[in-house]
Amino acid sequence: MAGRALIVAIAVAAFFIAPHALAEFHLFQICLVAGTALVVLGLIVVTGFAGQISLAQAAFVALGGYGSAILAARWGIPLWAGVPIVSIGAFVVGFVLGQMTLRVSGHYLALVTLAVTAIVQIALIYSDNVTGGAAGMPVPAFEIFGLTLSTGGQLYYVIVPATAMLFLAVHHLNHSHYGRALAAIRQSETAAELMGLNVLRYKAAAFGASGFLGAFGGGLLAPLSTYLDPAQFGITQSVYFLAVAVVGGMMSPLGALVGSIVFVLLPDFLQAFQTYLGLVFALLLLGFIVLRPEGLAGLRLPKGIVAALPRLGGERR
Amino acid sequence: MTERLLHVDSVTVRFGGLVALDNVSVDIARGTIHAVIGPNGAGKSTLLNVVTGLYRASEGDVTFEEESLSGRAPHLITRQGIARTFQNTELFGEMTALDNVVVALDSRYACNGISAALHDGRWRASEAEARGEARELLALVGLSEDQDSAAAALPFGKQRRLEIARALATQPKLLLLDEPAAGLRAAEIEALNRVLLDLRTNHGLTILVIDHVMALVMAISDRISVLNFGRKIAEGVPEEVRASPEVIEAYLGKKAAHAFSA
Amino acid sequence: MLAQVLVSSITAGAVYALIALGFVLIYKGTGVVHFGYGDQVTFGAYLVLIAQALIGLPFWPAVVVALVASVLLGALIYGGLMWPLRNASLLAQIIASLAMGTVLREFVRAYMGPSAWPFPFLLSPAPISVFGILVVPANLAIVGVSLGVLALLFLLFERTFHGKAIMAACDNRIGASLIGVQVSMVFLAIWILSSVLATVAGVLVAPLLTLSPDMGLIGIKGFTAAVLGGFNSLPGAVIGGIVLGVLEALAGTYVSSALKDMISYGILIAVVLVRPQGLLGVLAMKKV
Repeated sequence: MAGRALIVAIAVAAFFIAPHALAEFHLFQICLVAGTALVVLGLIVVTGFAGQISLAQAAFVALGGYGSAILAARWGIPLWAGVPIVSIGAFVVGFVLGQMTLRVSGHYLALVTLAVTAIVQIALIYSDNVTGGAAGMPVPAFEIFGLTLSTGGQLYYVIVPATAMLFLAVHHLNHSHYGRALAAIRQSETAAELMGLNVLRYKAAAFGASGFLGAFGGGLLAPLSTYLDPAQFGITQSVYFLAVAVVGGMMSPLGALVGSIVFVLLPDFLQAFQTYLGLVFALLLLGFIVLRPEGLAGLRLPKGIVAALPRLGGERR
Repeated sequence: MTERLLHVDSVTVRFGGLVALDNVSVDIARGTIHAVIGPNGAGKSTLLNVVTGLYRASEGDVTFEEESLSGRAPHLITRQGIARTFQNTELFGEMTALDNVVVALDSRYACNGISAALHDGRWRASEAEARGEARELLALVGLSEDQDSAAAALPFGKQRRLEIARALATQPKLLLLDEPAAGLRAAEIEALNRVLLDLRTNHGLTILVIDHVMALVMAISDRISVLNFGRKIAEGVPEEVRASPEVIEAYLGKKAAHAFSA
Repeated sequence: MLAQVLVSSITAGAVYALIALGFVLIYKGTGVVHFGYGDQVTFGAYLVLIAQALIGLPFWPAVVVALVASVLLGALIYGGLMWPLRNASLLAQIIASLAMGTVLREFVRAYMGPSAWPFPFLLSPAPISVFGILVVPANLAIVGVSLGVLALLFLLFERTFHGKAIMAACDNRIGASLIGVQVSMVFLAIWILSSVLATVAGVLVAPLLTLSPDMGLIGIKGFTAAVLGGFNSLPGAVIGGIVLGVLEALAGTYVSSALKDMISYGILIAVVLVRPQGLLGVLAMKKV
């Protein structure tokens, strides 16, 4: 317990020191990593924990970004309230969709989620009067307690704690009956069913959770990027999130963080090779799924570090 | 006549043109160990799959405590009070023995999602309670020592008993065992038999065992039904079944049947 | 007007059918749903351009080179990807096929640039009038090739020993190996065949659509056609493709272009939810 308290104390201290020690650009990147990690965390819940492949993550991100921006622009609901509201809506959408789809297994879910992403994108493009159509729409500023947060350094104080808390919640849920049930379903669906588990409902809940986290991440990333463009929310983007999850590691929340760090920072290191960035990401995905399907988070680190890492969730930055 | 717990009523199961079960009726009396035996491919596993809701009967009905189970989802049938084990064990291999049992207890102990997300006091209490009961169930089948081993790492005999503990965690009135002795050594079968007799006598459980090895079920069964090619060919107490010419023929072929009757 | 819409839509339908046939071939033959197939179709067309640009070949020899290259690609996909993953989970296989498609797409984006390329027609794109309806020879070729491929695959699967061996290999690997079928060789053959088919489809389709790295999204329409037809039925794939092409054209002509863009995805979702076995397929029962 003492060790855990110490780690939490260090994390909190690091959280408050970082804005003074780091440049604005780095704080922006930390926010980008956090938001992406949240989105990918949703994918890890549904694909890693529940074993159901989803290509709808970009659609949920769009729902979170556009949904909260539209609530703010049209009804004056501030983003700090709009993002959670839209995320709960995304949970319901995911849950209902899961209830309907997950009766048929495997590749059908991949197909349906693919189609959902495509439909959402087309809907965004054709609903000009609400979403700005193909041209996109600006995101209203994030206002809270009378403050307007617009730069990475300011949004840092919202995005990082929110991400940390959601990571902690997912970590706890994964170590409760929810995580146990999903693990059981992944290993033997038949046995899980015959132990009295409502398999369909658990899987749908996992899909709902992926919607919630995807929308929340999308809602937090939107004010960071300040502009929403429907081209950012297509099937390619869903595959990108899947790549982040696979490279990071599907089996623990940590994977979402590790993968996001890699995919956010990599472009900086490859600045001379911007043209090949997409190819590098694709090759990473392909290489990991064949050679190292457990991802980077599955690497063997010294035991003490491994034990400490998952508990820290999103705070460790 | 004792009270009937499970009533399989003229059940037929067809897969395409293949008839896996042909108009089979079996009654299981409460508080007994009932065995269904037959050679491989006789339709025994199909029978279990129909009772537990994994397969739909093409014709006929299954009633449990005089309530029809037809069309009910497997997890609801389990909650109704029917649990089973699997021929090739379907444990959650990566999970510990204890967690395998806790999973089956979760539908009774689980707290709400918010408590689980916070790991608050209520969550800790329900978790501790579930773990306590899981430990008792492991003790009942003699696996107290192994609670922290991964299920897949246990020897086969222990995996079988872990499956029974996991099935018991759903608080069944009827326990279905799919070839529980297959692949076990004589000493392990002994241990298993003791567990089963204890469950029936001291815990009031009704047990349906299916197996193709007659030796095991003869020793513990109160009543035996024999299936062959999807049909029920004999039923009675072990002695009757052992003497039945149809049963001998099914198991050993026609010649042997003549030899026995001669 | 309606007749003209229907005739034109059949071309689009034949395109979907051709791609759907590839999906069904791979699924029937190897049990894998290939999420990168659409990108492979695109890549096939790019192979022709690459052969022209790189070796300076005229169009037709470049097509031949592209076909030969796609044989190698098929062998590479099986040997480098699907064989190592033969015992992996369905999830890993789906992700791998998706990753493979993404690699091909990003390769052409990096190597040939993100913008569209002109692609020559195999036959004349000038319409000729038949009974007052305008028909385009290039489009007729697509319909003809689709039906030809269907006939060929149908004969292969249903009428020859090798076809039956493929089905046996897919249903029961151990059983097939007992009767002397080398499962790995059969799978290799399927992957090569489907790769060649992808390139043929790419060459036919590229002049109709815009050849850009993202043309592979057409793959989803092929999926819809395959799902509509039942996913394991070759004739189903063709019927599904044509039905989809006609529905799209009707939606586009009589309702709105938004609906035309969306309808195939809507159909995909609806079929999976309402009738996952498709129009012609049967649902398999899970064994315990």
